Amino acid sequence: MQSAPFDYYRPETVAEALDLLASVEGARPLAGGHSLLPAMKLRVANPAAIVDLTRIEGLDQISRDGDSITIGALTKHAAVAASEVVQTDCGILSDAAAHIGDPQVRNRGTIGGSVAHADPAADYPTVLTALGATITVTGKAGERTIAADDFFVDLFTAAHEEGELVTSVEVPVLTAGQGGAYLKHRHPASSYAVVGVAAVVTVDEGQCTAARIAVGGITGKPERAQAAETALVGEAPSEENNAQAASQVPDALANPLGDIYASGEFRVHLAEVLTKRALADAFARSGS
Amino acid sequence: MDDCGPIINPMIVEGQIHGGVVQGAAQALWEGAQYDDEGNLLTGTMMDYAIPKADFLPRFALGKTETPTDVNPLGVKGVGETGTIASTPTVYDAVMDALAPLGVSQVDMPLTPERVWRAIQDAQKGGE
Repeated sequence: MQSAPFDYYRPETVAEALDLLASVEGARPLAGGHSLLPAMKLRVANPAAIVDLTRIEGLDQISRDGDSITIGALTKHAAVAASEVVQTDCGILSDAAAHIGDPQVRNRGTIGGSVAHADPAADYPTVLTALGATITVTGKAGERTIAADDFFVDLFTAAHEEGELVTSVEVPVLTAGQGGAYLKHRHPASSYAVVGVAAVVTVDEGQCTAARIAVGGITGKPERAQAAETALVGEAPSEENNAQAASQVPDALANPLGDIYASGEFRVHLAEVLTKRALADAFARSGS
Repeated sequence: MDDCGPIINPMIVEGQIHGGVVQGAAQALWEGAQYDDEGNLLTGTMMDYAIPKADFLPRFALGKTETPTDVNPLGVKGVGETGTIASTPTVYDAVMDALAPLGVSQVDMPLTPERVWRAIQDAQKGGE
């Protein structure tokens, strides 16, 4: 099916884009297009106008500033996956990016677009939540920064206001003693994450001192498994502890979503299994 | 192992066999048209209806015999159906063989992860 008719604008600066979004009725921003365009072709999204952001310069840079890495919103998944800075200092993010969709999706899709779309079956929201990342949005009133924990609100609903654009994502540099892993169960037809679990752990002198576990694909947004996190802290990492922590994950996942491929109950089971495996990988990468 | 009589184009013959084997395995493991109670097709796009991609299956080792038929001058026969017909029960039987010690005797195709998981859960509950 073809999309409904729409007008097309191609601004060259963020300011111009913000003006267009404010003044053109029904305008929606377009980045890589791999979420918006399929929705338009199915006519579940029918914007009167598209504001194509892809010619705006300077929003696709990756840079390390001290203990964080800033990634421009228009950075493609393939670039995040291939970035030496991200691979070295935040490997869980480059790993996740390398497994988004397929090569065509990775060569066009952007981190800003993925994050703004807030699809529970996406990979970045889960990983960014586990990392404690922040998302910077820019509006007419200026820039503001939102923690990942607060940014993903619900199904396809993110915290930025209409008229604000995601302009960058900031992730922490993982230091010695820290490790992260992201595992997902891929839908065999769409390749989306049916369930994805991201775990980021810190180990100091043989003891786990911090853990963040995010589970995506169960509800409308990534859920933190806080009881599981608490169970790990203060203990020496072990397979038994990972299993014990993973067994607390289902309690954090009330009212799971389900579909014709996987019921909510099965997704919760997958979440527990993937948590155990992700923790094993994360601890192994922390060097402990 | 297949036999289509004398082979004229080996590449096409191998391609036919590969395709047949994959399609048969797909029926056992992935493909499944689903409808709702009113007859609306739910798996209406390739985002919902799963067919295997190249990396879903391992490489194949093919063997052949060549038994000419006497009902045509070239002795040639058709190719492709053996793969597609035989691979479905082969894959299905392998999965059921693996599940048998857990008390599972019946699972509907396609053998999705959830169906296998539920069969194991049900068998274990039945045993209690």
